[in-house]
Amino acid sequence: MFNDSDVQRILEQAMSTTADFAEVFQEVTESKSVGLLNGKVIRASTGFDSGTGIRLLAGTNSVYVYSSDNDIEVLLKLAKEAAAAIKGNDKGQIEALKELCKTSKANVQIDPMNVPKTDMVDFLRNSSDYALSYSPLITQVAGSIASSVRTARVINTRGVNTEDTTRRIRLSVETIATKDNEKQSGRVAPGTMKGYEFINEYPLIDKTRECCDTAIRMVNAGYAPSAKMPVILCNGFGGVIFHEACGHALEATAVGIKASYFNDMKGQQIASSVVSARDNALIDGEWGSYATDDEGNASSDLLLIENGILKNYLVDELGARRMNCKPTGCARRQDYSYAPTSRMSNTFICKGESDPKDIIADTEYGLYCTNMGGGSVDTSTGDFNFAVNEAYMIRNGKIAEPVRGATLIGKGQEILKNIDMVGNDLELAAGMCGSVSGGVPVTVGQPTIRVSSILVGGREA
Amino acid sequence: MDIKTAEKFMEKLVKAGIDYGFESCEASFSQNSSMSIDIHNGEVSSYENSATSGLSFRGLKNGQMGYCSTNILDEDSIDFLLKSAMENCEVLNDEDPQFIYCDENNKNLYFSQVTDAYAKNTYKSFSELGLKLEKAILALDDRIDAVDNLSITCSTGPFLIINSKGLHSYRDSDGMSLYAAARATDSDGSVKSGSHFWIGNDIDDFDMDKFLAKFKENLIGKMGAKSCKPGSYKTVLKSEAFQQFFMVFFSNFLATSMQRGLSLLAGKEGEKIASDILTVREEPMYEKALTKIPFDDEGVLTTNKAIIDKGVFATALYDLKSAYKAGKNSTGNGFKSGSTVSEAPTNLIVEPGNKTYEELLKDAGEGIILTDLSGLHAGVNPISGDFSLLCEGYLIENGKQGRPVEQITVAGNFFDAIKSIEAVGNDIINLPSGEGEFFTPSVLISSLAISGDDEE
Repeated sequence: MFNDSDVQRILEQAMSTTADFAEVFQEVTESKSVGLLNGKVIRASTGFDSGTGIRLLAGTNSVYVYSSDNDIEVLLKLAKEAAAAIKGNDKGQIEALKELCKTSKANVQIDPMNVPKTDMVDFLRNSSDYALSYSPLITQVAGSIASSVRTARVINTRGVNTEDTTRRIRLSVETIATKDNEKQSGRVAPGTMKGYEFINEYPLIDKTRECCDTAIRMVNAGYAPSAKMPVILCNGFGGVIFHEACGHALEATAVGIKASYFNDMKGQQIASSVVSARDNALIDGEWGSYATDDEGNASSDLLLIENGILKNYLVDELGARRMNCKPTGCARRQDYSYAPTSRMSNTFICKGESDPKDIIADTEYGLYCTNMGGGSVDTSTGDFNFAVNEAYMIRNGKIAEPVRGATLIGKGQEILKNIDMVGNDLELAAGMCGSVSGGVPVTVGQPTIRVSSILVGGREA
Repeated sequence: MDIKTAEKFMEKLVKAGIDYGFESCEASFSQNSSMSIDIHNGEVSSYENSATSGLSFRGLKNGQMGYCSTNILDEDSIDFLLKSAMENCEVLNDEDPQFIYCDENNKNLYFSQVTDAYAKNTYKSFSELGLKLEKAILALDDRIDAVDNLSITCSTGPFLIINSKGLHSYRDSDGMSLYAAARATDSDGSVKSGSHFWIGNDIDDFDMDKFLAKFKENLIGKMGAKSCKPGSYKTVLKSEAFQQFFMVFFSNFLATSMQRGLSLLAGKEGEKIASDILTVREEPMYEKALTKIPFDDEGVLTTNKAIIDKGVFATALYDLKSAYKAGKNSTGNGFKSGSTVSEAPTNLIVEPGNKTYEELLKDAGEGIILTDLSGLHAGVNPISGDFSLLCEGYLIENGKQGRPVEQITVAGNFFDAIKSIEAVGNDIINLPSGEGEFFTPSVLISSLAISGDDEE
């Protein structure tokens, strides 16, 4: 990491023309991973990456330069180029640098970076051995553990001087069942900012069995029907629907340029009154958490929707300038090669009052989705889609036959209004979110919910 | 970091690797310089400039290949790279042999394709073009509210590979791309978005009129779109959609996927897997391609080949490891992917048919045109070939393009779909894909399941 006088030189160079704000972002990331296939270790890797990004703002115009070369002369040259490119009106001020503020939301007892890869391999091998002997239908099992430590320092012309450390570890187990020409998979991929103790305490065999069962059920399942129907989405990763259909449209990236269907709707009813939702980056040890964002602002627990009423947007510095409000501490980036922007952290629909059993019993006919894939959204139109990995038909209030190959589509602004029951079984699940500032770890979450009507795209009429 | 400094470091590293106890080892270095601008509301809203580089080391010990990467090239890094890669070797127990390679006749390759045109990529040229284009897009139609995204990017960089067997080869490439997305509101308040992009390696090759015509079709042409009746439809997958569709299942053509039981094409080389009229070739040095690739990331010379030849699965793509396992030669398709090497395609070409796009619609009679598929990262099962995807396009009515459709899904199976290609068009476009580009026309598929919700 640079010393303060080097940083000062970069900031001065950056502010030498007409920027009103400059920021230096310096990042160091160490990573390691192992991957097994059918019990054999086929991947073991170690990586180190570091780099610096310099951002200049003049009103809502921005210039971003970055390099993996941490040489001060290289960065001064980049800062000079950036200063030449920025188009502002006046020369801005540089405030005195505050004392360095170090933060972390990691809650680590055993540092994964100190755990030998052989231990990780032994752990994963238990899962392989179990899965391969579970059923002759299980033809393949893959497992991996990846961990990383990222230190991100932010210094800007307002005197901000922060350093946030995230320590993440993610386990993945995927089993594949084969029957005739058909292959289906079952997968779990929990992630955390806890230490290796999370792996040690993980109910690996139970979860491997669940993966095998999913794969076997799905390889035997028929295709999902095609029709509009009530859909029940399980807790945990079911929250990907809220992430796609609503979360992205609340980011300043879209709202700031009026390209969101939730533009100018603060204080208005955007969801059914049973829906409240938060974006909470403060949860200790959670996969999507961080203490200080990539602009040096403290992260927050933000109420997004309360009883259906839109309360807050997710706002970064540039978004704040466009929307004439304050940043909410949600600026994130994959790494130094991206300028930061507003992103989600741990985003979930809050706990409701219904018993999940009652939600099913109350549904005459519909689709019960117990395992979700990913999805995507167009924030200007609201068109969203997401894939269902495991689902069952509901007939007469009871869970009936398994079905596969379903995709749910709709308009985000409509789906939120159609949520008519919210369960009391809130759960979070780890994922990766891709957007303009790259891929960032997020958790999605929700209790079991019911949407009164969604178009299910399957293969059977 | 200049390339000479990296070269010296790599030579030293490879020598130190042998001294450290690796049987053979290899270092590869890649660098990327890029520049981009975004245009918003009549001004350059953002400008980016970057220079990044990374070095990857791999060493062979007792049949295991250990990898490690860094972006810092100093004395400490040599220790870090060798130690970490050796530790990784000790953990691995892959049964399949791996190789550090050197072809005595092709061990000092040098291929530079960056031309003088790259120097035309400046802040000034990009901002002038971008501002002009934004204005022109807004002038296309009164209903266009805003151009939400307009970016122009260029990048260039060398790749250098040095190993202990004597390989010392260099290649570089450059390219630029332009992307624009806009939003329009209809009189009933419904919002539609549309986008288009262009790739090239000379800014003077950009044809604004052609771009605008296509942009208008992609946005205004889809205004008033609504869902349609569910059912089986004769389906024209437009070039862009066919490229997306084919690539999402492309892992099935990779030897490693086949060997790991992740491809239903395993053991089917030489067998008929697709319609007689489908031929897909891989040509790393394809004349029309923006990026030509003379050798892969393992130093193996690339070669032209048919992957599907008149419906027959001619060959999978192999790297050194999967080729050895199959008792074949590498096809020159070993490319860096994350921390390791695996197979990837360079330039892919779908052999055009003799029908125009309009003739494809005429052949279909009644059916649907799909122009864009969404959710490809989630709505497919790449192994079974099953897919169910959000999509949009147009109806085909009386052999002509009819009204626009949206909020529908298309579902089916990839392996069935490529068997039921009834016609291949000649409307070829090129899109970035894999290590190179994908050149493809539109195709007509006899039947795919469409889910929709037509209130009419």
